Amino acid sequence: MAFGAVTAAILLAPGAHADVDTDFANQLHGYGIYGQRDYNAWMGKITCERLATHVDTTAFQSATFLRGNLDRTTSTQQVWQFLATAVQTYCPEQTPALRAAADSSHTTTKEQR
Amino acid sequence: MTTRLPLMQCCAMTVAALIATAMSGAAPASADATDEFPIPHRMIVTTCDAEQYLAAARDTSPVYFERYMIDKSNRPAYIQQMAEDRIHWFFSLDPAGRRQYSEDTATDVYYEQVATHWGNWAKVFFNNKGVVAKATDVCTNYPRGDMSVWDWR
Repeated sequence: MAFGAVTAAILLAPGAHADVDTDFANQLHGYGIYGQRDYNAWMGKITCERLATHVDTTAFQSATFLRGNLDRTTSTQQVWQFLATAVQTYCPEQTPALRAAADSSHTTTKEQR
Repeated sequence: MTTRLPLMQCCAMTVAALIATAMSGAAPASADATDEFPIPHRMIVTTCDAEQYLAAARDTSPVYFERYMIDKSNRPAYIQQMAEDRIHWFFSLDPAGRRQYSEDTATDVYYEQVATHWGNWAKVFFNNKGVVAKATDVCTNYPRGDMSVWDWR
């Protein structure tokens, strides 16, 4: 379910506008993710930086990082929506990390059947 | 104009009276250190090293950490090195030594020489009790002496 959210977030990402942080906030609102606009923008950019510097080497680690630093009421699905939106907005070059997480999840699901 | 002057005088007197009242009620400024100020108690007693603490702060207070690292990256290289060396020195002290250092910096604004070059040189380590609390809670889970944590930007 969370990975469906990732795919949907990638597909539904709007085109770039003048204020990237505002676009990011607006898209988060669509997922029911609120909180301070600036904080969320920082978190999106830092998430990208952690992937770029290999502090986080997988999207699963990114999700763990976000889960610990977003509002406690944020659901697992929203964490993945946040991550996918952050990658799409601030570091689209990291999209393969998201796809790898989605693929490994699909593989695991098939093996369990 | 003739009616305004008395009004201004009246207000000026009121303001003066308010200021006098506020000043008479203000507590005298204290420069002494406490167990939490200027260096939080958890920073004084932690057994983690600087790199363990910094890695924990990176993960538990990411925006605070990011701002510190951006500030650091805007300093000349020798100032950055000075700050790293100084925080290593601080972590080499025992709790009594750290408490004394806290006292020394609280009572003498010129005691810390690194601060004369970079005022916020230890902000992520000393300045925010909440940041210190969250990082010291988990810092033992990180490797000691991993200098790569400084290479953020």
